[in-house]
Amino acid sequence: MITIYWKPVYRFIRLKFQKNNEDAKDLTQGFFATALERDFFTRFDPEKASFRTYLRMAVERFAASQHASANRQKRGGDTEFETLGEQAVSTESPEQVFEREWQRQLFCLALGDLRAHSEGRGKQLEFQIFQAYDLAEGERPSYAELARQYGVPETSVTNYLAWARRMMRGFVMERLRGTTAGWRELRDEMRRVWS
Amino acid sequence: MELSDAVLDHLRSVAALPDMSGTRYELEGEIGRGGMGIVYAARDRVLDRRVALKVLDLTPAGEAQLIAALEHPAIVPVYEAGTLPDGREFYAMKLIKGARLDHYLAAQPTLAERLRLIWRIGEALAYAHSHCVIHRDLKPQNVMVGEFGEVYVMDWGVKAIAGTPAFRAPEVLLDQRSDIYGLGALLRFLLPDPNPPALGAIAAKAMSADPAARYPEVRALLADIERFEQGMAVEAWPEPPWHRLRRFASRNALLLWLLASYTFAKFLIFFLRKF
Repeated sequence: MITIYWKPVYRFIRLKFQKNNEDAKDLTQGFFATALERDFFTRFDPEKASFRTYLRMAVERFAASQHASANRQKRGGDTEFETLGEQAVSTESPEQVFEREWQRQLFCLALGDLRAHSEGRGKQLEFQIFQAYDLAEGERPSYAELARQYGVPETSVTNYLAWARRMMRGFVMERLRGTTAGWRELRDEMRRVWS
Repeated sequence: MELSDAVLDHLRSVAALPDMSGTRYELEGEIGRGGMGIVYAARDRVLDRRVALKVLDLTPAGEAQLIAALEHPAIVPVYEAGTLPDGREFYAMKLIKGARLDHYLAAQPTLAERLRLIWRIGEALAYAHSHCVIHRDLKPQNVMVGEFGEVYVMDWGVKAIAGTPAFRAPEVLLDQRSDIYGLGALLRFLLPDPNPPALGAIAAKAMSADPAARYPEVRALLADIERFEQGMAVEAWPEPPWHRLRRFASRNALLLWLLASYTFAKFLIFFLRKF
């Protein structure tokens, strides 16, 4: 769970409280340490909100109180915070960034699972073709080009991609299952991922 | 592994698409989102026809079986149900050519046409209730009007659906009376502005916060609408005397005209005889 949420929390703190890299890391670390210590995660009630909303609001409260106490210590609290590069170009709110980072982290972990699964099953070629097409930055190669490059029929490219996407979807679901309480929350979270 | 925004968006979209490999269907595009999944237009390669394909988010609570058990002209027939290679359940059904109820209203149908729609919806609902099935999420987006004027109630509910706020009954545990609330909300939505007070009262009674104050069954609501159409007093509205008089006059216009003509003729003859 912490693997999925560490980065979203870190980015949320950086943007919402305009913290520099090191302070944001410390606060993120501090938040998870305190949460584990105080049994915060077991107190989550799925009837009231999604786990992600519950977590984000807790992060906000935690970081706000830390932020206020740091300001008090500086007697006057007139600290000037570093302006973030990403904030200058981003039109997204910290909450949207949190959501986006959560999705990014979820897919990163699922892709790691897919890679390990492919290697374990001798399906490296399937993964390579998936990587060359679905993970390509910029313009994607055509199926025919991929077929030529990897020496397989074009229909195999289609099948390999379908297999890898299917598996990736399954791994995303598995990762989500680990952070949701019950199928209703899982369904809502999946909708947030796909839509 | 770091993912750019563009790659992330691409992955989200390809992972969302159902894997149709090994099935007889070819996806054409998304046409809507229901309570439990996404509906696509698809081509059935074997029968060479277009169908609507609903792909469910998670293991369904027998949605396809639930709908397939309902054979009614206003309930979309299910052709086939199955499991996709990615584990998701799906079912194929008739692809309705027509307009969603809320879009259909843009053509400003007459009051009689609006009441015909409510009747069709109500009949489907009464039929489903007689099979112990409740809809749970009646709303304009879940009703289609076909190109021949036929009406279809879609997206029949399973337990997970919470309903849509403006059309959902306030009670937590939904039952047949919650559907009556939804039907009342649909009636109110369908009525033109200003609406006949008797119809407004029917909608209000169906939408009572207390389920016990609503119509006990769909047929009772439809019977009240029928009474309105026949110019009779409706159960939901204690009408004022002047309205009763007007309604009487409107129902018996011919008789009143004849009576008035007869009286006029009598007067005429009386005066002609006198002078």
